[in-house]
Order: sequence, then structure tokens, then C-alpha cells
Amino acid sequence: MSLDAELLHKAVAQLHGSSVHHDLRQRAVEDLLTQGFPTTRDEHWKYSDCSPLLASLGARLYHDSHPVDDVEMARLVDVESYTLHFVDGVWDKERSDLPAGITVTSYTETTDLFAPDEESVLSQGFTSLNGALASGGVMVDVAEGLSLDRPLAMMHSSSGKVAHVRHQVRVGQASEVVLIEHFSGEGAHSGLTNVVTALHLSEGARVAHYRLQQEGLLQAHIGRLAVKQQRDSHYCSHLLTLGAAWSRVDVVISLADIGANCQLNGLYLLSGRQHGDHHIQIDHLAPHCQSDTHYRGVLDGRARAVFNGKVVVHKGAVKSHSTQSNANLLLSANAEVDTKPELEIYNDDVKCAHGSTTGRLDQQQLFYLQSRGLSESEARQLLTLAFVGEVMTRMNEPALRAYVQKGCFAKLPHPLDMNMEGFL
Amino acid sequence: MLTIENLHARVEGKEILKGLNLEIGSGEIHAIMGPNGAGKSTLSNVLSGRGGYEVTQGRVIYQGKDLLAMSPEERAWEGVFLAFQYPVEIPGVNNAYLLKAGLNAKRKYLGLQELDAMEFMSMVREKAATVELDAAFLSRSVNEGFSGGEKKRNEIFQMAVLEPSFAILDETDSGLDIDALRVVAGGVNQLRSPDRSMMVVTHYQRLLDYIEPDVVHVLMDGQILKTGDKSLAKVLESRGYDWVRAEARS
Repeated sequence: MSLDAELLHKAVAQLHGSSVHHDLRQRAVEDLLTQGFPTTRDEHWKYSDCSPLLASLGARLYHDSHPVDDVEMARLVDVESYTLHFVDGVWDKERSDLPAGITVTSYTETTDLFAPDEESVLSQGFTSLNGALASGGVMVDVAEGLSLDRPLAMMHSSSGKVAHVRHQVRVGQASEVVLIEHFSGEGAHSGLTNVVTALHLSEGARVAHYRLQQEGLLQAHIGRLAVKQQRDSHYCSHLLTLGAAWSRVDVVISLADIGANCQLNGLYLLSGRQHGDHHIQIDHLAPHCQSDTHYRGVLDGRARAVFNGKVVVHKGAVKSHSTQSNANLLLSANAEVDTKPELEIYNDDVKCAHGSTTGRLDQQQLFYLQSRGLSESEARQLLTLAFVGEVMTRMNEPALRAYVQKGCFAKLPHPLDMNMEGFL
Repeated sequence: MLTIENLHARVEGKEILKGLNLEIGSGEIHAIMGPNGAGKSTLSNVLSGRGGYEVTQGRVIYQGKDLLAMSPEERAWEGVFLAFQYPVEIPGVNNAYLLKAGLNAKRKYLGLQELDAMEFMSMVREKAATVELDAAFLSRSVNEGFSGGEKKRNEIFQMAVLEPSFAILDETDSGLDIDALRVVAGGVNQLRSPDRSMMVVTHYQRLLDYIEPDVVHVLMDGQILKTGDKSLAKVLESRGYDWVRAEARS
């Protein structure tokens, strides 16, 4: 289905916001009208065909008049946090729990707009649509020199609507924060969560970011995470994809000043007919920056995953260090993965390594475990958990690691009846 | 304990075991010796249930039960243990976890109470000491980054924890220096008991200086061609194997 300019204009006209919003929306509309939605002819959308999604959503893509169903508020069991709640992208201001040093403004009320769409070539279409139509979302300001004692959790519950959500997070100089973005919700009908999160790290800021996508299996999820890092800032992302029938996440990192470094860990567990696409682009723009990407995926049933990681080391970015790896485990003969790590280097003084693997469970290891008394299904499960555990051990927050571990266990085939205590 | 009758087995269509007969009594240690390619590893693998081996004839009765009808894990629960020639590395699965899961699966099968973490850890620490393994390795991944000697000691340690009735030691001496061999053999000897039988598969007589067998068999051409006492191993060491074949044919 092609873009409906009339519906788009009509939907934009109904939105509130300042003149800054108005300008941004107009630019986004123009971009969208020029480019249209991506098709499989676009290099970065080759394996992810969004046309069935667009066709099924129809006019709801621009304006979804479905009533908001009752939806269970997402909760992170056993994780203590300061929490912001969003239902179909709309911030429930009354229910917020915020510490000193954190200021939150709804997206339509802030006049300080970031421009995450201008920072990459990856996925203009949906990001532009988001720019044009976002009404939900917030601006989060983390004061300078703040060290937050608990994670800040942005909990999203979806009732099955189409929601265009735009978050902006600015972390002040030398502040340290654990940020959680969680997406869930089991709606009665199929919708789309189209979320753009722009994150700015000031000099010396340190952010650990857990982006946990556990949406219902009727929902589609398109996300863009755009991170801009200033001098000596450190960004560590743990991205988990378990839910949604069809999902696509673009992670765009800009290492904009000396000594910035990022560590991107990712885990996707897909089954049934789930489709999950992860695209990463990291731009090394300044000297002495480091990026390490480590994504792992487990695919069962007829699931399909796409991984594309691109590191661009720009001309002046000397002494850059970059590693990138993507490993995939196929549990069924019908699962499929297309993986492609890419490197573009425009100076000589760098250290870079990248690679990807796709394989099945090792028969020798399976037999070894069985010979020690584990049943075949337990042995399979244990090896699969060991495979994903490699990513979990990089998570430094025990409560969140345990939460992720639990989510992964539940997602795997043949849940273990053995006690997993002490596994990691 | 174990009776093997007329066992024929194939790997990738090629017949390796060609009518093997063997009887191992309770508490006995039997050494299986033979040249490369004689079928020693095939025998170990068929008995422990590794995939890829096709038994075309014969049967194996273990404690009155049809061993070949059991899955590898059922064999483990019934008390069969294989000490691997090449123990595999399993990154991400820690030793203690594997052993606890394996041991409790067996105890559950036998109708025994499962051990809790405290009971398990104190038992395991004690057993680790018998093969001079540092208890710190318990929290490491199975065999990952272990030296050849550590891997073999780990096998014997696992055997000590799982307390099998019938243990197969597949070329446990391969890749071991003399000090490591002494430690491993010492661990095995501590596990000798009237209700535990062992089948020690080896190329060389050297291991048998440390683990004294009750019976020595020569496996050649897929069959047991000769059986004797421990002095047979010495003869094989000095004369090699060819005479055994010549003698068997005549």
C-alpha cells in the first residue's frame, strides 16, 4: 500500500504543539512524501517487507480511532525503579514517580526537539512518519552530576493501537543513569508501536540502557534508537526482542567526540512466524572512540531474523577501536537468518574486527550432557540458555539480568522443570 | 553386571564390530586393548548410546535389562558412565550446575530425595579433592579452557560424584603426562568397589600399571580375539598385536 498524502496531511493538522513541532512535522511530511515507505528494493529493507503491515493497518496508520482497550500496566517484577507509564504511547502523568534531578515534560509540551531522523540513512520512512505524527512520548532531562540510585523505567503498554511515540532523553554532564524502556501489552487487535527514542549523552555521562521489547504477538513494532555521544561518555545498551509478530529496530550511534565509547549487546529470541530485524549503524566521528557490538539470536519454528551491523570510521576518527559480532542459533530447519556485518573505514589508524556465525546445537555437547543424565530436551534447553547467557552475563544489574533471564526461559521451547538457580 | 552377545555395529555403513562377546562381572575391572581402528571407541560409544552407531545384530544385557533400548540419559540413570576420550568444552554451562542437574535427575529416577544446594556443594568439594581439582573450577564452564590433564581429572571427578555401577574409561590415559596419569589412576582406584565394574579402554599397557585389571581382552577386527589376566598386557607391550591375530586364525 502506498502512502496516502491526504490522510497524512489531515492527521498532522489535528495535532497540537508549538511552532517548533509544526516545523518538524512539516519537514517530516515532506521527507515522507519524497521517499515514501521503504520497500524490499531498498538495501536496508531487503529482507523485511513492510507492505503487508501497511496494507493491514490502512488508514489507521495515520489516525487510529479504535478506542483504547483496558490494558494491563506493564510491570517489572522484582526490579525497583522510578517509573513512567505509557498507554499506547500516551504518558500517564498522574502515575509518575520521579526523583529530584529528573525533569519530565510531555513531547508536545517541550520546545527542545532533537532531530534523530537526520543522523542516519537507515530507515527514513517510519521515522519520518513518526516525526509527522508523534503525539505521545516525553522529554526526559537528567541533571548534571546526578547518579541515580535506581533505574528510570519507561513502561509502555499497548492495547493494540497504532501509536507514534517520540522520546527524548538528555543526560547531563558526568551523570550516571540506568534507563529501561519496556514494551508490552496484549491487545485484542493488531496495531503498530512506532517509537523513536533520541538519547543525548553529555560529556562524561554514563548510561546503561535496557530496551526490552515483549509486545503481544498481534502487534508490530518499529523502533529507532538514536544516540549521540559527547566526549568521554559511555553508553551500554542491552536490547531484548522477544515479542511482536513483526519487528524492526534501528540503532544509530554517533560517537561525536573524543573518547566516547559504546557497548551494544542484543538478544533476540523468535519463534512461530515472528519476524525480527535489527539494523545498527555506528559512526566513529572523533578520535579515540570505541564501539563493541555483540548480538545473539535464537530462532525456532518458522521465525526469521535479520541482522545488519554497520560501523563507519570517518576520516578524522583515528585510534578508533571497533568490534562487532553476531551469532545465531537455529533450533528448527525452517527458521532463517540473514546476517551482515559491515565495516567502512576512512583512515589507517584503527583497530576493527567483525564476524557473524549461524549454527545449530552441537551434537557432541548434547551427547555429553545426556551421558551425565540430562534428558535430551533439558540438554537442548541448557545449551540454548548457555548460548543466550553469554549476552546476559554482560548485564551488570542483577535484578534486570534475572528479569531478562526469566523472559528468555519462558520463551524457549520445552520450559525446563529443573531448578535454574545458580545457572549463570 | 554386563553381558555382550554377538554384537555387530556399523558407522556410516561400515561394519566395525563383528560379533563381539564380553562378560563383565560385578566389581571387576576389564581392560580392552587393541590397535588403532580395532573398534575400541565404537564399543565405548555403542555402550553409552552415542548417536551415529547402528547396531545390526546382537544384544547387551546390563543388570538384567536391555541396555541398547535405553536413551543415553536412561543409561546414566541406570548407572552407566562414560569417561570421554575427548571431553567436550561447553561454554556457558558451569560444572556444578551440570553435575547437580545430572545427579538429581538420577536420584529422581531412582526414587531418592534430590540434594539441595548445600548438601550438593559439600559432597562435591570433598570429591574434587580426591582428584586434586581446585574447588574454584566448579563455577567454571564445563571443560572450557581446561588443560588436557584437567579435562581427564574432571571426568574422573564426575564419575566420583555420579557413582556409576558400570564405568567406561575411554582412552583415559591419552594426552596425560605421568604425574597427571598417577592422579587420574589414583582417583579411579579410590572408586573401585565390589558393586562397581569398569571397562578400561586403552592403547598402552602403561595405564594398567596404575589401574590393575582383573581381565585383559584384545579387541581386533571387531571381535575379542584373546582374553587373559593382567600379564597379557605386558606381553602385548613387548610383542605388539599381530601375533594375536595369527594365533586366533590358527
